[in-house]
Amino acid sequence: MDSLPVTEPVLLILLSLAKEPRHGYAILRDVREMSHSRVLLSTGTLYGALRRLLAEGWIERVSEEDASRGRQAYRLTARGERNLQQEVHHLKQLTRMASFRVAPKGT
Amino acid sequence: MSCVYRFLLQLYPSAHRHEYGEEMLAVFREVQAETRGKGILRTGRFWIREVLGLLGGAFEEHFRSLMGSSYPPSIFLRRPIMRSEFRFPKATATLMTIILAAVVMAIEKATAIVNSVPHTGPHVGPIQPAHFTLFPTLLVILTFGCVAGAIGWAVAFALHRTGVQRLADFNPSGRQASGGR
Repeated sequence: MDSLPVTEPVLLILLSLAKEPRHGYAILRDVREMSHSRVLLSTGTLYGALRRLLAEGWIERVSEEDASRGRQAYRLTARGERNLQQEVHHLKQLTRMASFRVAPKGT
Repeated sequence: MSCVYRFLLQLYPSAHRHEYGEEMLAVFREVQAETRGKGILRTGRFWIREVLGLLGGAFEEHFRSLMGSSYPPSIFLRRPIMRSEFRFPKATATLMTIILAAVVMAIEKATAIVNSVPHTGPHVGPIQPAHFTLFPTLLVILTFGCVAGAIGWAVAFALHRTGVQRLADFNPSGRQASGGR
């Protein structure tokens, strides 16, 4: 596993890019919908995370012919996809363990 | 309102601003258009979020550019997850015990030296500030600073290393106690 700490916003950004490439605004909206408006990213937070993910090689820019500087799309790289899968696997293990530990009493 | 945003963007390092500035502004305008007409509370929250996000982001980018690649990817983690709780590492406790023992031993040694010196000579009054010259004083301060810095770095390194290793070794299922991760 790569060493980049995966916070909830970063995880949601990666999940947003898991299906298809998205622009900044589309990522913001998708993160908001996925988290039921619990996680509202500012543009500063979003682009800080995108810069780090680009630097770590987890995502890349999509070179679109009609893409102006204001509408740049991003997508997961193979490395980002692999790390996301590992993170999801990790979370599954954690939730499975948690479900055993906090099972409703009397069942 | 975009001019306020543009002004706050100036707080970012120029490299970041050139690479992401226009894009950030475009996204901001889209979010602003979406928020328009949805009440003063929501607009207020939007502005607070954006201003704080920009201030925090600018500070983080400047800090990163100062620290270079050794800078941990994020010190402004919002809602961190998968983090083991902080525990005082054994390595740091050992280090601090050694430092404490060394300080106690140094004090005892100094006391022994003072007691062993006969007080038969002429009376020497308290050391006057005039006895200090600039260069030795600076040297002592510099040496003290270096030693304090080295101890601080060692403690920080021990904390960081222990935390990272614990996070890497974290296995929620507990099935692979000696797993190859």
